[in-house]
Amino acid sequence: MRVKFWGVRGSIPAPGPETNRYGGNTSCVSITTDRDELFIIDMGTGVMHLGIELMAGTFGNGGGKATVFLSHAHWDHIQGFPFFPPIFVPGNAFDVYGNARSSGRLEAILEGQMNPHFSPIYTLKNLGSNIVFHGVHPGESFPVDGVTVDALENPHGATTSLAYRFEENGRVFIYASDVGYPQSGPTKEAVSFYQDADVLLHDCTYTPEEQEGRRERGFSSYADAAAAAVAASVKHLVMFHYDQDYSDDTVDELQAACRKQLDNGGGSSINLTAAAEGTEIVV
Amino acid sequence: MKVRFWGVRGSIPVPGPQTNRYGGNTSCVEVIPDHGPRIVIDAGTGIRKLGQSLMDDACGEGRGRVHLLISHTHWDHIQGLPFFSPLYTEGNELHIYARQREDRHLQAIFAQQNEGPYFPVPLESMKANVDFRELVEGQHFDIGDAKISCTRLNHPWIAMAYRIDVDGASVVYSSDTAPFTDILLEQEFIAQPPEPGAPLSPDDAKKLHAMREGLVDLCRGADLLIYDTQFTPTEYRQKPHWGHSTPDDAITVGRDAGVKTVALYHHAPARSDEAQDAILDQYQQATRSESFDIIATREGMELILGGGD
Repeated sequence: MRVKFWGVRGSIPAPGPETNRYGGNTSCVSITTDRDELFIIDMGTGVMHLGIELMAGTFGNGGGKATVFLSHAHWDHIQGFPFFPPIFVPGNAFDVYGNARSSGRLEAILEGQMNPHFSPIYTLKNLGSNIVFHGVHPGESFPVDGVTVDALENPHGATTSLAYRFEENGRVFIYASDVGYPQSGPTKEAVSFYQDADVLLHDCTYTPEEQEGRRERGFSSYADAAAAAVAASVKHLVMFHYDQDYSDDTVDELQAACRKQLDNGGGSSINLTAAAEGTEIVV
Repeated sequence: MKVRFWGVRGSIPVPGPQTNRYGGNTSCVEVIPDHGPRIVIDAGTGIRKLGQSLMDDACGEGRGRVHLLISHTHWDHIQGLPFFSPLYTEGNELHIYARQREDRHLQAIFAQQNEGPYFPVPLESMKANVDFRELVEGQHFDIGDAKISCTRLNHPWIAMAYRIDVDGASVVYSSDTAPFTDILLEQEFIAQPPEPGAPLSPDDAKKLHAMREGLVDLCRGADLLIYDTQFTPTEYRQKPHWGHSTPDDAITVGRDAGVKTVALYHHAPARSDEAQDAILDQYQQATRSESFDIIATREGMELILGGGD
């Protein structure tokens, strides 16, 4: 699997010279599988730029097919959806999986975003492509294009967010954004879900100090991410979903602090990457 | 009065080096009269940094009074509001003005943005006091010493243009709108646009003519006309039903109304700083002999109208 970062920011896009290096777009990650299938995880504003690139290929003439996995429906994870050009091209096919009890509920959530008060699209029915919605049942794994997919409902403030586990040919990639563990640290369920992953992409919204006054928001600090990575013995930790007010220099500092946290916590063999827009890792 | 630009982008925020100079945040303009309450127009992502700046002042102490005029409720004009810091401090007041809607109260429309599963903090649990004032086009009202007037624009689901007169100066905010020539944009979804230049039904032609007259009246003699110029002429011909104009449209309205400065605004997300420079340069060359100036708005720009205090 090749994993590419299109948006790594949390909460709201943060344009400006201070975010040029890591990027200011909200959450979006793509996976190109070994069989060359396309998965898209979350549709923050970063997905527009993925879509523009896709239009140069089969998605431009209606021959494209992709599977979308949504962690939850907070704006920064769906706001790019109406600006994803391939969604308008008849013939393109999308399966959308999300954090909802039913496929109808998931469709209704995305329909609400298209309401004419808010969007000139008016309704999902005006999107030209073929979209099939699937509610995800955490704990029940399902196959997609030769990849085994699992989901875990992580705590996220007053709500929950899905972490996804993708396993292909013995390699495991985990997407775990927007997670706020209890004060005691990563939950048993989360650690066991992340266990021995090749790559764990994890929420790193805050420093531990800034997290303190904002616990109810349900985000992780880099210390939570490091603790989860060590406890689950993952090989590679990817930092993700930086606070909108953090400049590139601050993210550099977060990364250095996270490295130290790993080294001091028994995770010196764990690779560490701070996700930056436009970069790619191979799982 | 002072006019400050916090977000000048249309449709969707576009972070990245290619927008560093004009800025990638969506629509938000601040109007600061020499005396009296502050007026903000639209609440795109630009309002986040405006909110942070206000927290250094009365809003930080829970004594802030902000009047927010909303052109329309498309995402790029309201998406920053949940991130407007003064809303999270008790004692602050936010008065939101927007066009009255046929189907539901403004409060219900704004509340939806803050509801689960989309956002964790419901509007009614914001600590500041938020109220809504519904407007009809043609209405006149006061905010402190400022006189506000408004008229409707040609945009899907209908947008409102505002004029603010205060301190002997005037600014008009006209975004978003299509030109008034090819297609009438109201409540209906238009899947297939007509060919620009094709004849209009007499009813639509009459309505569009009246709409343009209303806008030109609103702009009459204004010091500054801020105008939706998202499209180049080529882009407009491909998407006349999207409800956006070109600099040519802004110029003809500005000329007919005798404004002093036409300000290009609501730049396309795909427009790089270099491309925007080229557009500005082209139109400045083409209008050298006109009696008005052309500028292109960018984030952080501040204009003083009427001499200031």
